[in-house]
Amino acid sequence: MIIGRKVLLLLLTLLFSVSSAGAVKIEISAPGEQEIPLALTSFLPMGTAQPEIAAEINAVLQADLGLSGLFSLVDRASFLSDADKLGLSSVLVDFSQWKLLGAEAVIKGGYRVEGGRLIVEARLFDVISRRMLTGRRYIGKPEEARRIAHTFADQVMLSMTGTKGPFSSRIAYISNRTGKKELYLMEVDGHAPIRLTNHRGIVLNPDFSPVGKELIFTSYKKGNPDLYRKEIYAGREARLSHRQGLNIGGRYSPDGREIAVTLSKDKNSELYLLGTDGTIHKRLTNHWGIDVDPSWSPAGDKVAFVSDRRGNPHVYIVDVDSLEVKRLTFDGKYNATPAWSPNGERIAFARMENGSFDIYTIKPDGSDERRLTFGSGNKEHPRWSPDSRFLVYSLDRDGEKAIYLMRADGTGNRRISAAGGDDSHPAWSGYW
Amino acid sequence: MNLPKKQSWRRLHSRFEPGFKRMLLLSVAIHFLVPVLYTGVLYFSPPREKPPVYRVNLVNKPVKNPQAGRPEASPKKKKTVTKAKPKPKPVVKSKPKPAPKPKPEAKKVVKPKPKPEPVAKPEPTISKAQEQDFQQKIEAMRREKEREDRLAALRAELEKEREKIAAETPVGEVTGKGDEEGIAYASFVKAFITEQWRLSKYQLPSLNLEAEWKLIYNAEGQLIHKKVVSGSGNKMFDDSLLRAIMKSQNLGRELEEQTEFEVTFNLREMQN
Amino acid sequence: MQKITLTRLFILLVLVTLLSAGCAKKAAMDDTQATDGTQAVEETQMQEQEISAVEEQPVSDMAAGDTNAAMMEAETLVRKLTRIYFDFDQYVLTKTAQDTLYANAQILKAAPALKVVVEGHCDERGSDEYNLALGEKRAIATKNYLVSLGVPMDQLSTISYGEEVPLDMGGSEDAWAKNRRAEFTLQR
Repeated sequence: MIIGRKVLLLLLTLLFSVSSAGAVKIEISAPGEQEIPLALTSFLPMGTAQPEIAAEINAVLQADLGLSGLFSLVDRASFLSDADKLGLSSVLVDFSQWKLLGAEAVIKGGYRVEGGRLIVEARLFDVISRRMLTGRRYIGKPEEARRIAHTFADQVMLSMTGTKGPFSSRIAYISNRTGKKELYLMEVDGHAPIRLTNHRGIVLNPDFSPVGKELIFTSYKKGNPDLYRKEIYAGREARLSHRQGLNIGGRYSPDGREIAVTLSKDKNSELYLLGTDGTIHKRLTNHWGIDVDPSWSPAGDKVAFVSDRRGNPHVYIVDVDSLEVKRLTFDGKYNATPAWSPNGERIAFARMENGSFDIYTIKPDGSDERRLTFGSGNKEHPRWSPDSRFLVYSLDRDGEKAIYLMRADGTGNRRISAAGGDDSHPAWSGYW
Repeated sequence: MNLPKKQSWRRLHSRFEPGFKRMLLLSVAIHFLVPVLYTGVLYFSPPREKPPVYRVNLVNKPVKNPQAGRPEASPKKKKTVTKAKPKPKPVVKSKPKPAPKPKPEAKKVVKPKPKPEPVAKPEPTISKAQEQDFQQKIEAMRREKEREDRLAALRAELEKEREKIAAETPVGEVTGKGDEEGIAYASFVKAFITEQWRLSKYQLPSLNLEAEWKLIYNAEGQLIHKKVVSGSGNKMFDDSLLRAIMKSQNLGRELEEQTEFEVTFNLREMQN
Repeated sequence: MQKITLTRLFILLVLVTLLSAGCAKKAAMDDTQATDGTQAVEETQMQEQEISAVEEQPVSDMAAGDTNAAMMEAETLVRKLTRIYFDFDQYVLTKTAQDTLYANAQILKAAPALKVVVEGHCDERGSDEYNLALGEKRAIATKNYLVSLGVPMDQLSTISYGEEVPLDMGGSEDAWAKNRRAEFTLQR
């Protein structure tokens, strides 16, 4: 019996010593690389080669996907033979070559020009799982190569993040290139700027309609700052509000049915809601201080604005129904140009610190304030991209005003307006 | 008690049990001896080896080979990953070489040795004697290559042996938990999988995501079983984990025995 | 100072009226001589056309043959209204500003036909929208003060240009100080 007990004891100890090498727990709290290595190949001709088209598509994809911050680009010089093969479906792609280069995503495509049309096939592949993540065929005109590339970049963003990218949308802005401040429109990468107005006075502060292809803006065309609306493609213009005093800072509500605007017809600048025909629907503020710069919440129930009712300009939020006003910013002596993100999560604004303006974002409840821009110059008028991932703003430095883009976390700053003029007051359209 | 001192001492003395003095003496002796024995000044002990100092980088990514720099350690070659990096170099180097040879260049890239060139550049006009000469030279080179291959194989075996030795000693472990056997593998597997994991914060709506996987590696370091214990609820995050695990099928080194790992993935290090 | 300028203006006015009268007389004289030859008639007609062309253009400088004396006088008067300056983010009138406005008020009161626009301006720093509102407040504050000094209300109108029309683009503290102003222009 005693021996039996000893044996049992021995067995038990052995058992425990073996099972102590059971499940090992590991915690991994960050990825080894915070960028996805992407191999961006040149699109190949499916008919006659037109290298300019391939070059344009490549340049646009590189710029847009670089701005996205998602990818690190694999060096083109290291591409192997699969880069020269058309490979429009996953069975035709030699993924082992790409895996060798360390790429995890590959973009391949082809193009053909026939009968005056440009046909582009574009594919995004996942190297590890060896499958196609997204594929598209685009049919357009040969001069629309850039637009097609932007659309595919939007598609890549949708595939990689779950939200469509903003690269096909438009940016409106004010430029004095003609000697007078007029309204202009350009693509998100600064290409193809076109002048929309010929008022020969001062045009200011445009805003896109969320429903139609229209813009509202302020102009001194008739000697007073009045609110105008212009249809972008039809070209028709209408004067919406020409009340005495200021008619400035017009902003469409998210459903496009009302316009928040600052009127000073009662000898004091206050916020009003106008209908799209210019009639006054409601007065939002009633205070002897200055109330300007409205920005709607995406739900359409609140408007952020700037007021100096407590002495210095700060950002406040007014409830459209109850007219209750709450203060949003408390730090700094001068906070202005608020912009509410389309996903409702943050409000961007500009604050003056040590004599110059920088862009900050804050949660609508007033918490988690973050500074986005640093360095010299005045950065003002931030506006959000329709997917809330990027901001456009105007930078005034060394006597020149230019328009810049950046990611919502303040990285990726790049200029998009061309040199040779003062460009300011940017506005970002919705999905075009 | 106002007894004079001498009397009280005598009294105490008389109260003692007969063997009390002896007990007291013994007690004092033991109290003295034990600490002396413990410190070991009385008997000879071999000088204890100082435990080796490991440099652990807590700030940067986990190092692939924590043994690097140790005299008995040797660089481990991971076939899949490290090949990716020296890749662009041989291609760039081989470019200035004769341009009209794109195909042999591609082949050259696969081998990390750009030197042993395709031996004979067949010249169009060549005499028989010269040809024989060339053949002999080719043979010589082939023999040479075989010798080198055998040597490389032997070296590889030697490295394996060294790895075995190196693996059994404890490696710097960030969490400081676990017994000696567990530390080495956990740290290595963690570093390996982390290295394979690619994810951009711009793909995610928030950094508060966490998922857990169960992975079983056999003694050769092959992944024989993987299973999701809990997902994060975010498709991009979960897909990135699947990719990382698919790239971690082969650890490239042996574990002492088949081990099951419970891996928790989150983004705590990215939150600031 | 004010008295001298007024008399000078009066003299100027008289002279100009005489000049214009003289021109008119010339034309009349040419007409009576016209019956002798057609060429003479054409010449006078051309002369008349020239005069009317000159009359249509509002000219700020003293051009020969300018008959719109009131316009010219108005321009000169308006130019006499001195600018006032403001502190950063303020529409309150400083003592210097008030003194300047007192002087301006006298000019305005003496010329009740003169319709003036008070322009409010700001320096380029800060939100454009906010500066438009601030510029308006500056213009209104200026107008109110002038009205309190006895200038008739309908003689003044206000407009704000915010930071859109700076005087000095230098971007320095001095430049900004010059841009924070209220100034006076003729109402057209």
